[in-house]
Amino acid sequence: MNWLRELARRLSMLMHRRQFDADLEEEVRLHLALRQEEQFESGMTADEARAAARRQFGNATYMKEESRIAWGWEWFENMAQDVRYGARMLRKSPGFTAVAILTLALGIGANTAIFSVINGVLLSPLPYKNPKQLVVIKEHDSLPNVMDIQRQTRAFSQGGGINVEPMDYTGGTEPVQVLVGRVDAGFLETLGVQPVLGRIISPGEDVQGGPRLAMVSNHFWQNYLGSDPHAVGNTIQLGGNSYTVIGVMPASFAPPVEHADVFVSLWVDDPGGAAERDLHFMHTYWRVKEGVTLAQAQADMAAIDRRLAEQYPAEEKERKSHLVPLHEWLVGDVRSALLVLFGAVGLVLLIACANFASLLMMRALAERQELVIRAALGAGRGRLIRKTLTESALLSVFGGAAGLLFAKWGTSMLLALRPENLARLNGIHIDTRVLLFVLVVSLLTGIAFGMAPAWIAARADVAEALKESGRSTTASTMGHSIRRILVISELAVALVLLVGAGLLIKGFSRLRSVNPGFNSSGVITMYLQLPETRYGKIPRQTQFRRELLTRLDTVPGVQVAMVSDIPLGGNYVGHRLVIDGRPPVAVGGEPLVQTLSVMGDYFHVMQIPLRAGREFTPLDREGQPRVAIVNEEIVREFFPHEDPIGVRICWAGDVGPPRWMTVIGVVADVKHSGLNQPTDPAVYTPFSQNDERWRRFMTLAIRARDASPGLVEEVKKQIWSLDGQIPVSDVHAMDELIAVSLAQQRFNMLLLGLFAALALILAAVGIYGAISYSATQRTHEIGIRTALGAQRRDVLRLVMRDGAKIAFLGIAFGIAGALALTRLMASLLFEVKPTDPATFTGVAILLALVALAACYIPARRAMRVDPMVALRYE
Amino acid sequence: MHGYEIANSIQRISANVLQVEEGSLYPALQRMLIKGWVTAEWGTTAGNRRARYYKLTAAGRKQLAVEMSQFERVIGAITRVIEAV
Repeated sequence: MNWLRELARRLSMLMHRRQFDADLEEEVRLHLALRQEEQFESGMTADEARAAARRQFGNATYMKEESRIAWGWEWFENMAQDVRYGARMLRKSPGFTAVAILTLALGIGANTAIFSVINGVLLSPLPYKNPKQLVVIKEHDSLPNVMDIQRQTRAFSQGGGINVEPMDYTGGTEPVQVLVGRVDAGFLETLGVQPVLGRIISPGEDVQGGPRLAMVSNHFWQNYLGSDPHAVGNTIQLGGNSYTVIGVMPASFAPPVEHADVFVSLWVDDPGGAAERDLHFMHTYWRVKEGVTLAQAQADMAAIDRRLAEQYPAEEKERKSHLVPLHEWLVGDVRSALLVLFGAVGLVLLIACANFASLLMMRALAERQELVIRAALGAGRGRLIRKTLTESALLSVFGGAAGLLFAKWGTSMLLALRPENLARLNGIHIDTRVLLFVLVVSLLTGIAFGMAPAWIAARADVAEALKESGRSTTASTMGHSIRRILVISELAVALVLLVGAGLLIKGFSRLRSVNPGFNSSGVITMYLQLPETRYGKIPRQTQFRRELLTRLDTVPGVQVAMVSDIPLGGNYVGHRLVIDGRPPVAVGGEPLVQTLSVMGDYFHVMQIPLRAGREFTPLDREGQPRVAIVNEEIVREFFPHEDPIGVRICWAGDVGPPRWMTVIGVVADVKHSGLNQPTDPAVYTPFSQNDERWRRFMTLAIRARDASPGLVEEVKKQIWSLDGQIPVSDVHAMDELIAVSLAQQRFNMLLLGLFAALALILAAVGIYGAISYSATQRTHEIGIRTALGAQRRDVLRLVMRDGAKIAFLGIAFGIAGALALTRLMASLLFEVKPTDPATFTGVAILLALVALAACYIPARRAMRVDPMVALRYE
Repeated sequence: MHGYEIANSIQRISANVLQVEEGSLYPALQRMLIKGWVTAEWGTTAGNRRARYYKLTAAGRKQLAVEMSQFERVIGAITRVIEAV
């Protein structure tokens, strides 16, 4: 404990430094006075006595210093002094300080903003119990299979699945559509959610014919149950059935991928669907047992797949389940984009740092005279380096603080811009980890990039430097060449960023010009779902649809049609295709095609061009010959050399004799899953010839001549005049859906473009600074040249040549760097090669022009140098 | 004792054999203060002047004993070596 007491004494000395100095001073004074008196009494004169006392005492200043050093706070006092001195110096040159801090703040701020997104999305753990153990099976599965896996697995401790179904909730004033997660008992348990009220469903209740129980999300509880603390035990109406609320989920809980307001048992809600082995519609989550690796789990899963395939060859022959860690599943496609952005923003910081270092260097050269005098007066080399470093560290800390402000603003901008797939991952904010990041980055910047100028300062040879009295010297030549290297690197890095941004912009413009296959402008969509209880039978569904279209036809100025899944709406149904007259394919090996049902003049409303044959007419209805329209992709893939019109097709796996449909037309391809996605082969059939009871949903496509705000209300009124219990949801303008599908690319492009612009500006400032400094240094030379008859043009060429050399080298290195780095962003590009020559050329020219423009300003100034003034300038 | 008295008494007791710069006493006192071997307190001298009085602490006495025995061992060794010559 001795050292602790000692530390306490040392600290208390530090606290009372001033008192300490005064005490010591007084003590020494007393000592000298007493000694002097003693000598005086022994007969010396007063002066002699004073001298003797001093002689006997020794060097009083040195003793005082030694006494202070004994306490071990010398480093601290030096630092405090350096900081004070540094702050005074920075205050004295506000222009330099402002530029340096702003440069760093831009670099650090942009980095911090991106890092806070990475921190929230990639680094923070998922909000589930032991999230590292959670995996998903990529493929959807049916509940019987899920139960078999649960029974047979040796790798998973828990598992469960969910299927989200929109249902109408009719407890409130208007019927609303809510998303119901139909789950098995294992689902919520696997994610480890603790309800805030009540409980979750038990395995005993999760059975066919079990009680109708509902667990509601916190959001649902707040919005529809009025945050009632006694909500447990209440009944709610979902899809025409009464459910008893047994639990309320915490606000922090949401299924990893799905949106759901209410959770019910799939066995209870849809016993028919639950029992179908080949109805693969559940997304499943599994918890890997402690100590089991992903590879082991995958092997175990493969064994189960094999067993299921043997046991149920008709349904599960082609079975293959792929395990993916949940975190990877969620951030997979965002990850590469974020890492590329982080890399890019790191490069911006590098440029900012190079500018910062170059500023410091210029300043170090300007202050060299002062440093030399300090050195001559006995300041140690280490102390001089420390002083310069303190100044740059001070600047970088201020830069970091200002950067934090930029970051705060930047983060909110990022949040506003963020695409849909980032939107669900919340927790993007500035936390301690981000703050630590800023601190480390700024200090490292200050020290690493303050090193070179400090070194130059310390290298100064005192005698030599004093003789030169401020003329350009070896040290300044060296500083100058370091600055050139910095500027060349800045230009190179800026070129890499510009190429990256250029590639993304090109890819984005390609993507934007992709023809979606329909005309989105002026089209509004809305989603309807018919409740099972009253619309379970197909004729009833058809009757509703036909009647609805008839009523909507009376709304003036609109054309309305309906489709099972609207393009870019996120839903997709596929069936296996059989073509009449082709050699039979193994069961389960038939080609998968997208299947869509339509009613009304769908192709006309969406303006999907007809390529061959005819469109559906109202006569293609129930009881009439079954017909189908295919897209061009089907023709390309299956009828490359024949006319598909008149060919008969049907779906594989139909029970009973094949129900053939005759192809009557071909329509243009539509980008259903996104503009950057390939078009799948697709088959359209009339809704009225639909024989699948579960297709109770539809999306209305409404083309309005002028979309008045009352239009949506008018359409809703018509729907509810037909059936007041049908919820309407997902009301979107088709243009909006297109914008959403472009959002991720837009986000990447905007950010990288912003960083590239930042880099360009910083690099331009860098080259401007370097050229104007060297031009000023050469004022004398230029004066002589002009005096000897050099024309202004020659002077201009002299200075510009200097800049052009730097720019050329920077661009050359930048192209090499870009060729090496843009490969990393290949996955972000749409139909653009990472080495796209046009982009490289364009960007190189742009950078060259900007660099030369930045040199032109100092060159013009040099051109105007008056030889008389320049020669006298010495 | 205060600093001046300490310096004087060293001079007196050693009969002027140990002649060091008196100032070097003060850094040494500071080091002993840090170690906790002495404590310092302001008081008044006989001539009614303010002076800082240093007092040996228990820890200081212990340290003194340690140093003394160390010193005696070294001196003893040196004496023996010299006598043996």
